[in-house]
Amino acid sequence: MTIASAAPPRLRRMTQSRWAPWLYLSPALITLVVWIYWPLVDAVRLSFYQWNMLPNSPQLFVGWDNYQRIFALPKFWQALRNTGVYIAGLLPLAVLIPLAIAIYTHDLPARSRNVYRAIIFVPMIIAPVVAAAVWRWLLDPGYGLANQAIKGVGLEPVKFLSDPKVAIWTVILITGWKLMGFSTLILAAANANINPSLIEAARMDGASKWEVIRDVRLPLLSSTVLFLVVMTILLGAQWSFTYINVLTGGGPLGSTTNIYYLLWDFGFSTMSVGWGSAAAVILFLGFGALAFVLFRLIDRYSFHDN
Amino acid sequence: MNRKSFLLGALALTLAGPALAQTMAPSVDQPVTITFYNYNLGSAGIGAEATKKLLNEFMAEHPNITVEGVPYSSADGSRIQADLAAGLPVDMVQTVFSDLDFAVHNWGAKALEDIAPADEMAAHFEGMSPNGLKLGVLDGKTYGLAYTFSTPILFYNADLFRQAGLDPDSPPKTWAAVKDAAIAIKEKTGKEGFAAGITGPSAADWLFQGVVRSNGGEVISRDRKTLKFGEPEAIEAVAMLRDLHDAGVYENLDISGAMEGMAAGNVGMYLQTSAVQGVLVAGAKDKFDLRASTMPSFGEKPVRPNNSGSALTIHTADPVKQRAAWELMKFLTSKHGYTIITSEIGYLPLRTDIVDDPQYLGDWVKSHPLVQPNLEQLAVLEPWDPMPGPNYRQIVKTMMDAVEMSVFGGADVAATMADAQANAQALMP
Repeated sequence: MTIASAAPPRLRRMTQSRWAPWLYLSPALITLVVWIYWPLVDAVRLSFYQWNMLPNSPQLFVGWDNYQRIFALPKFWQALRNTGVYIAGLLPLAVLIPLAIAIYTHDLPARSRNVYRAIIFVPMIIAPVVAAAVWRWLLDPGYGLANQAIKGVGLEPVKFLSDPKVAIWTVILITGWKLMGFSTLILAAANANINPSLIEAARMDGASKWEVIRDVRLPLLSSTVLFLVVMTILLGAQWSFTYINVLTGGGPLGSTTNIYYLLWDFGFSTMSVGWGSAAAVILFLGFGALAFVLFRLIDRYSFHDN
Repeated sequence: MNRKSFLLGALALTLAGPALAQTMAPSVDQPVTITFYNYNLGSAGIGAEATKKLLNEFMAEHPNITVEGVPYSSADGSRIQADLAAGLPVDMVQTVFSDLDFAVHNWGAKALEDIAPADEMAAHFEGMSPNGLKLGVLDGKTYGLAYTFSTPILFYNADLFRQAGLDPDSPPKTWAAVKDAAIAIKEKTGKEGFAAGITGPSAADWLFQGVVRSNGGEVISRDRKTLKFGEPEAIEAVAMLRDLHDAGVYENLDISGAMEGMAAGNVGMYLQTSAVQGVLVAGAKDKFDLRASTMPSFGEKPVRPNNSGSALTIHTADPVKQRAAWELMKFLTSKHGYTIITSEIGYLPLRTDIVDDPQYLGDWVKSHPLVQPNLEQLAVLEPWDPMPGPNYRQIVKTMMDAVEMSVFGGADVAATMADAQANAQALMP
């Protein structure tokens, strides 16, 4: 303090004006650099090394080896296809059904609406591993409740988790069941935010209930819907990770493996940081490109009230 | 931080330098705490209780030594690796045999020959099964002592055998006989003929190695440089399993599905580690006649099973801690230790002389006849080969994915196995 006050007033003001903004910004900037940019740059660097994260073992430069090995994995392309299936399967569950629920429940009396939405939202707050364990009991081919019911009506029990053709849809349904509450919440909030005078005006013009939804609500909800679509495409396969890990371990015959699970499986089971980083860089670039396209689409197609 | 740990390491090296052989202290005179990474402690089952009991007994006998049990998951060694990377002391580990190579080269597992006095080792190894001792040997040195290990057992449901018109007193000894029996069971009783824990997410490759070896093949060459699971003997072994599947008697059940199916009496034969015996016995009690036989052979070729399970490895470089860990290792692999391990956790005794001794396992073995094929196989047991290099788990996965695709996925066996071998060979160090 004494040094500062001893300095000529003019100089101090100049220094302040030059450095003060950076000083104020520095906590945020430092956090950003330390937690986001530096790890990103370091991941790119490490993706060219073979190292197991032990301080006493050397980092071995291996060039493009890690990338080549990932692309040479026989399961890589299967996992990529499965990722597409996951996204396609999750879209109706994470967007369409919640949209219908949000619009439908909007007109219910406040009390029953809240009860209903709470029921829909409950799966969201159950811990994923617990949910997975409960689903495993329900779906067990021998004594599970689902198969008891199927056997009850005289049908063959379904191997929900061990039939390669069925397992991926089982995981998709469980993931979707878990997500539905979240999407419903977001859409219901957006729906409630629609200016009532617009609806009122449409009604006065003689619009039917369906016409109000089609011409007023849906266009005004479009940016939220597109946001959820983008979230599902970018993160959908990731949300199923817990269920894959607990319920199927990627099997049977790799039928439920998706790109996140595969790369985690190969990259992290030995803490091989090179594989893991290369996998992360591939995902970053791939989904980064996808996100770029999707956000351009959002800008183009979403409709704003004002 | 790095420099400090380097200096400490260098210091430890110079201290250890003069006595290059047998670095451990002669005794523990002051209180010392060692960590013991143990995966039984991480499970809620009976293994944890028995392990705690053994550790408490040990600490009562050695008041200077405190053992801190650290639970970890055997499915991935990330806890150990993370703790090592963080500089936490990892003094002794219950290491899965397939991790042994990695434990030696990356987690600093010490060869007993380098740290323990030769006479003490010789005295302790007295009475141990020579085959069992070989299990923890890598590159000519003993890095681990077999701790909780078991052999592949063909469990079978004698009631289903009778219903299918088979003789439960002469269980199938060859794979051809397994196929015939399985078809008979499937046709006459409508139940699953055969199940096995060879493939699946948590199966690793131990059972598969034994199947290939029994057909005169091996999954990796003796010099541990070349993978061989794409060679004719291995392909023939996989094709045999495929044939069982094609015959409709070997379904791709997941591990728990197969085990629960067997325990519920819905499966005729089940090839799996003897470690699941407890679950099966509990399921079969008062419901059906559960019996056990040795692993099937390929015709006249000798059965060459290998073990599953874990070894004890010492990782600490501190002479006093090494002594403490060695004392713990000796205690856990003593006659008393194996008695608890066998009777309360469900594994095998490395000391065959306690089996008939009424003071140890004598009475228990008499009342548990299912352990008999296990003891028979101890005489022909071979080591579970750990895959080398930092990518060892990826090698195992590549191999086992190919096996699963070949047996259950309808893929061409020879081409799939050869392809996987080429891919995995690229991951070898």
